[in-house]
Amino acid sequence: MFLTEKKDIQEIDEALKKYKKIGVVGCASCASVCLTGGSREVKEMKKHLEASGKEVTFTISIDEPCDKRVLKEDIRFVEDELKETEAVVVLSCGTGVQTIGEFTQKKVISGTDSKYIAQTEHIGEYYALCGGCDVCRLNFTGGVCTVTLCPKGLLNGPCEGHNGNNCEVFEDKECVFVKSYEMLKKYSEEDNLNKIFEPRDYGHSAARTKI
Amino acid sequence: MQIIPQIETPVSKNYSVFEENLIKLLNAIKNNTQNNTGTYNSLPQIIIEQNFGFNALLLCRDLKEKHKIKTAYAFNMRDKNRISLLSDLITLKQIGLKDIIVFEGVHPLKTEFKSAKPVYDIDILGLGLMLKRGLMNDIQADLFNFGAVIGSSAPVDFLKAKKLIDIGADSFFINYGGVNPDESMIKYIKSKNKKLFLNVKELSIKGSLNDFIKSIDNFGFDGVIIKITDENLNVFTRK
Ligand code: SF4
Ligand code: SF4
Repeated sequence: MFLTEKKDIQEIDEALKKYKKIGVVGCASCASVCLTGGSREVKEMKKHLEASGKEVTFTISIDEPCDKRVLKEDIRFVEDELKETEAVVVLSCGTGVQTIGEFTQKKVISGTDSKYIAQTEHIGEYYALCGGCDVCRLNFTGGVCTVTLCPKGLLNGPCEGHNGNNCEVFEDKECVFVKSYEMLKKYSEEDNLNKIFEPRDYGHSAARTKI
Repeated sequence: MQIIPQIETPVSKNYSVFEENLIKLLNAIKNNTQNNTGTYNSLPQIIIEQNFGFNALLLCRDLKEKHKIKTAYAFNMRDKNRISLLSDLITLKQIGLKDIIVFEGVHPLKTEFKSAKPVYDIDILGLGLMLKRGLMNDIQADLFNFGAVIGSSAPVDFLKAKKLIDIGADSFFINYGGVNPDESMIKYIKSKNKKLFLNVKELSIKGSLNDFIKSIDNFGFDGVIIKITDENLNVFTRK
C-alpha cells in the first residue's frame, strides 16, 4: 500500500481560493485503507468545502485513480459535472493526483501528503520496508532490505556506528545488517554474506518513468 | 605503537591560528615516550577530518607543503555524491596526498543538521572498489592508500572487513567503543598484511593516555588514532 496522510486543510483552502465549482475524487484503494481518501473522507471534504462557500459539483470514489484504464471507465459517471467544474480536489497519492490532472485537463489540488510504500501493522501503524530502489537485492540479503531499513541505505555491511546489535540512528532498532546476517545464517545462505554490491546506478533509476 | 591525533577542521576558529596550534600539538606528541614514531615513519603524523568545518583539503595541503607533515585526509560518505567526491580526490591527487581514511559517517539525524539530506551515494566499499579498479575518471587505479573505518562488535563487521580486503583496502581503523575489539578479526586483518589501527575518541579514555596505550599494547595494532576535539586542550596536552 502507498501511505498518504491528510494534508493541512488550510493549504487546500488556499489552493482553492480562486475556484468556486469544485469536484472531489477519492481513491478506493490505498488512500481508503489509510483513511485519507475513502468515501468517509470524500464526504468530509464535501462538507468542509460547502461550509466554506464552495459549490461541490460532484464526488466520486475511483477504485484506482492511478490506473488510467480504471480512471477512464469510472470518470464517465461524472462526465457532465466535470465539464462545469473548475478544480478537482484529489484524495489520493501524488500519482493519482497527477493522473487525474493529466486525464481531465482540470486544475487538481492534492488533498494528501504522499509518504512511502508501507506495510500495515494496523490502521495508524505503518512501516516502510521497500523504497522501490530499482534493482531488488532481497535475494542476497536474507529477505531484509538494507536500502530501506538502514537509514544510510548501505549495501555492503554495517556502518562503524552500531553497538554490536542496535542501529546508530534508531537506537531501539536492530541494525539491519545484524538482522540480514541472522537471516542468511538461518537459511544457510552464508555465501551471500561475501557478496560485494557495486555502487547503485542512479542513471538507471532515473529512467524508470518509462519501462 | 604510533599515536596519531585526528581532528576535524573547526567551524569558527581562525585558520592560521588553528594551523599553528596543530604544529605545537604535534611537537608535544613527538615527545611522548609511548609514541614510537621511528618504527613507522611511513605513517601519517596527523589525520585531518572533514566534517562541518572549513575545507580540510586546504589544511592538509598547508601541513604537507609548508610544514612537511605527513598528513592523512579523513572523510565520510554522508555528505558527497560521487561527483563531489571525485572533485576532492582530484584535489588530493594534485597536492600529492595519498593517505585517505573513509567512513560511512554519522547520520544527519544524529548531528545538528537534522533536516540535511543524507547522501550516502556510495558506501566505503563501493568507493574502495572504484578507486582500486580505476573506475573513477582521471584517478588511476590504486593511487591512494585506502583506509577503511569499521566496527568490530558484531560478526557482520568481520564480513565487511573481509570484503574490504577483497577489494584491496590498505589499512583498517577499528572503532573503539569502550570494549576491546574482536581478536579473531585483528588476527585476520594482520594475516593479510594490512595496517591496523584502533580509532579512539579521547573521551572514551578513562585514566591517563599512557595507561590506555599500555592496555592495548598486546593487540598488535600498528597505531592508535586519538580523535581530539580541541587542539589546545586534549589528552595530549593535559597535565
Ligand atoms: S532492495 Fe529494498 S528498496 Fe530495493 S526493491 Fe528490494 S526491497 Fe525495495
Ligand atoms: S547501524 Fe546498521 S542500520 Fe543503522 S545506520 Fe548503521 S548500518 Fe545502517
